Amino acid sequence: MTSLRTVSRLSRILALIPYVLEKKSADVSEILGRFGYSEEQLTRDLNTVFVCGLPGYGPGDLMEAYIDEDEVIIDAADYFTRAPRLTSTEALGLLAAGMTVIGMGEATPALESAVRKLTKAVMPEASSALVVDVVDESDNVGIFRSAATDRRVVKITYRSVGKEETTNRDIEPWTVFTTLGRWYVMGHCRLVDDERTFRVDRIRDLEVTDEIFERPKRVPEPGVGYTASEDDVVCIIDLYAKALWVLEYYPVEVLRQSGRSTRIRFSAPDAEVPARLLLRLGQDAKLVKGVDVAERVEDLGGRLLAIYR
Amino acid sequence: MQNVVERVLNLLIYLLESPNPVTADDVRRTVLGYDGQTDEAFHRMFERDKDVLRKLGVPLNRQALDAWEVDYGYTVDPDEYAVPDPGLSEEERVALSVAARMVRLGGSYAGLDALLKLGGIERSVGLEPLGADLGAEAEVLGSLFGAITERRAVKFDYRASERQLHPYGIAHRRGHWYLVGAGAEGERVYRVDRIGKLTVSEKTGTFAKPKGFDVRSLMDGQPWEAGSDPEVEATIRFDSEVAWWAARTLGLERPEAELVATVPVANRDALVGWVLSFGDAAEVLDPPEIRDEIRTRVEAALEKLP
Repeated sequence: MTSLRTVSRLSRILALIPYVLEKKSADVSEILGRFGYSEEQLTRDLNTVFVCGLPGYGPGDLMEAYIDEDEVIIDAADYFTRAPRLTSTEALGLLAAGMTVIGMGEATPALESAVRKLTKAVMPEASSALVVDVVDESDNVGIFRSAATDRRVVKITYRSVGKEETTNRDIEPWTVFTTLGRWYVMGHCRLVDDERTFRVDRIRDLEVTDEIFERPKRVPEPGVGYTASEDDVVCIIDLYAKALWVLEYYPVEVLRQSGRSTRIRFSAPDAEVPARLLLRLGQDAKLVKGVDVAERVEDLGGRLLAIYR
Repeated sequence: MQNVVERVLNLLIYLLESPNPVTADDVRRTVLGYDGQTDEAFHRMFERDKDVLRKLGVPLNRQALDAWEVDYGYTVDPDEYAVPDPGLSEEERVALSVAARMVRLGGSYAGLDALLKLGGIERSVGLEPLGADLGAEAEVLGSLFGAITERRAVKFDYRASERQLHPYGIAHRRGHWYLVGAGAEGERVYRVDRIGKLTVSEKTGTFAKPKGFDVRSLMDGQPWEAGSDPEVEATIRFDSEVAWWAARTLGLERPEAELVATVPVANRDALVGWVLSFGDAAEVLDPPEIRDEIRTRVEAALEKLP
């Protein structure tokens, strides 16, 4: 019901006023940076502050707020000497961000002391109540971070997801990120001459070379490792009750839900992925459509039966 | 929106400056922007503005003004309103700015809103080529975090039954958020994304966490170690092609060639899933029950092919 924009505009105003009050006056350019304002937005918000104040709402009751030369001036706003307390979502967001970076093993001493102070302020009675675990078992994240910063080409030996193959590739790492519990490195892969995302835990060996690469001006924002593409293998699967966890773990499309089963469209870069899933699910799922996948289930299933017979 | 922003600012100032609780009628008569409304329109407006105040982090208290609880008054305690000053140095604020621009929660960089209230965001520092996405349940997670820090009991639906819990902590692990706390069944761990219909108690400080309780203690281990199956040890062989990767997951030294490892299992399904993720490059050697289980599943999958 409440517009998110109203809340975020007010939130910024209530943070701006105490900051300027404490500094007496502040550079317009500094305020624009700190609070993420455009000049137009800042003027509009100052004009709003200027018409608000104490009941009576006469000239002596209203706050003062204006730009003088290059200075932001705010006065007669004693009730706003401090910003409002953090909401629990804000506190969580900031603490979790700090702890995540510390958990990456990439923190500066300043960040560590900042998180300590924040913990004390936000949860004095509940310290250690928040744990963020983004451990990278391969210890390669730091290496990729430096390589991305220094724009160094990295040679990797990679075990691909789905396909049963190990390849050697030269990659130009742009970003290293973690999502859904896994670490990924995204960048340009010279082997396929295209943008690719690799799972860091699947990189067996790596070597940072001396070669410097050209970084594109705009690097796409890192996101979930998998997005459907035209080359994908697509199949249709019915999931029974015990297999419904699949909906949470894979990016699937639900086609139909009935009392007994849920029909999904499953896409993956290789037929091996749904094939292994179907073998694992056994009687809890049924392949409805997908010739490539059926072949792969038969093939891998046959080999597994030979092992476990 | 302009009107709403002005009205809420005036309302907040009025509440902060009033020495006594103010009623809805007081607000209507006194605060600029509420005049000239029908009763119904005024109440809708006032409800909405109170909601905005709460979303901003304003501690709006409501108390009965008479023994019959007919009239209610609202207060905002200026001391309670002010954000506690963590005493960040400039360098620390910059470090937090960098971190907050790296980590997403609930689809946005949630830490940035907090930083605004703590002196603003430093944007002059270059962006790190490093990022993290901690998933997308920010609202429930924020409510739980608030309950934990203020020691409020919670009630929620979980797997078709209602649970009551003293929440001790939350943890992000392997891509999911977990809630840890004590209820009728003792200390338990719940997946936050499976929590439905959360209610947080009005009362604060209702319980104390046992001394020395560590959220991590309930969270440690591999997925197949935590479960209700009878505990057994499983021995698995990994081909040399994938042995390095399995060793990494298990926290073992990288083997020269193939790897034979023994792991404790209390969740068979999770173990079977992990082993089959290696295709036929991994084999459970022991115990026979798990080998049988894998064979049964493979046979069932083959029979069900179209």
